[in-house]
Amino acid sequence: MGIIDKARIYSPWLYHLHCGGCNGCDIETLAAIAPRFDVERFGIQLVASPRHADILVTTGCVPKQFIPMVKRVYEQVPEPKVVVAIGGCACGGSLFYDDDPENYAILGYPDLLIPVDVYVPGCAPKPEAIINGIVQGILKLAAKKKAAAPAQKS
Amino acid sequence: MSSPIIKILLDILRNYSTPMTLKYPSTVEAGKKYSQIPEGLRGVPERSEDKCIGCRACYFVCSGRATSIYDNEDKRLVEIFLFRCTFCAHCQEACPEEAITMSKKFEVTASSRSDSAGFVRTNLEMLKCKNCGKPFLPKKFVKRANERLMEKINPLVKDVVAADFQKVADYCLDCRRARGVELDTHTKKHVWLEVG
Repeated sequence: MGIIDKARIYSPWLYHLHCGGCNGCDIETLAAIAPRFDVERFGIQLVASPRHADILVTTGCVPKQFIPMVKRVYEQVPEPKVVVAIGGCACGGSLFYDDDPENYAILGYPDLLIPVDVYVPGCAPKPEAIINGIVQGILKLAAKKKAAAPAQKS
Repeated sequence: MSSPIIKILLDILRNYSTPMTLKYPSTVEAGKKYSQIPEGLRGVPERSEDKCIGCRACYFVCSGRATSIYDNEDKRLVEIFLFRCTFCAHCQEACPEEAITMSKKFEVTASSRSDSAGFVRTNLEMLKCKNCGKPFLPKKFVKRANERLMEKINPLVKDVVAADFQKVADYCLDCRRARGVELDTHTKKHVWLEVG
């Protein structure tokens, strides 16, 4: 593991993907990064493009119109990547999701489309809970980087 | 001093003298882990295994369909799937036994959908029918239902109903109906009693 990889683990960049829902979790996610809880002082910050990101943060249930965008954003994040689902909607669909009868507009949760590594339930989770979830994501990212490192050398 | 505007101004003044950032989670003081927990925060619901009787009241009011009930071989499993839970405390309000309380715990993370961190589970022992051997209701539910009935019942018919309940307590609902005549538990006799 080189010095750049180590730096990436200490201060991963997040891409915030808002799939749908009520915006509550988005406000809490931003509160976790803003000065009150200030994880930005460790270099953990939101970036504008998924191509720069290490961790994909998804909030909200997935409407059917949004399916191609979720897949595309996930594919654009460079490997190794970690997906953190924040809030009840992103974890299990919450109030919006129903499998019987099926909702005509809403597919459900992002887990149906992309592999999610860490779930943070809550409606909406407190910023502390989100920070805790992102820390769990960082641990998974470190494990993935370690696993990927020998393959790059050979 | 109780005016909210003065409170806000004091907060602003305090922020000039001390750093505004809450250190997380490094502010572990004696007995106080978090620097800021608002009063009345609804965290993860917790169910007391002693108090819960498995009456399904929480299942009917659950707005996010997070609560589900499975009747297994000899256990009734009452579980809250936290991924769907909105912490709305409807179940706490509806619970007749006050078994559900909203805790202050909010830091929950799970690594998969089947992770046990994402569930609040309670197992209840089922009562098996004496006649057909089918498990039908939790033991505690039958016991508690009897107690509540006896509290509110008309004293005229109390003894008869208590005696009837002892006869049918071990039978499932279908068998109670089928053997009503045989066990002499038909409801009309209460009416005769009341008439005189």
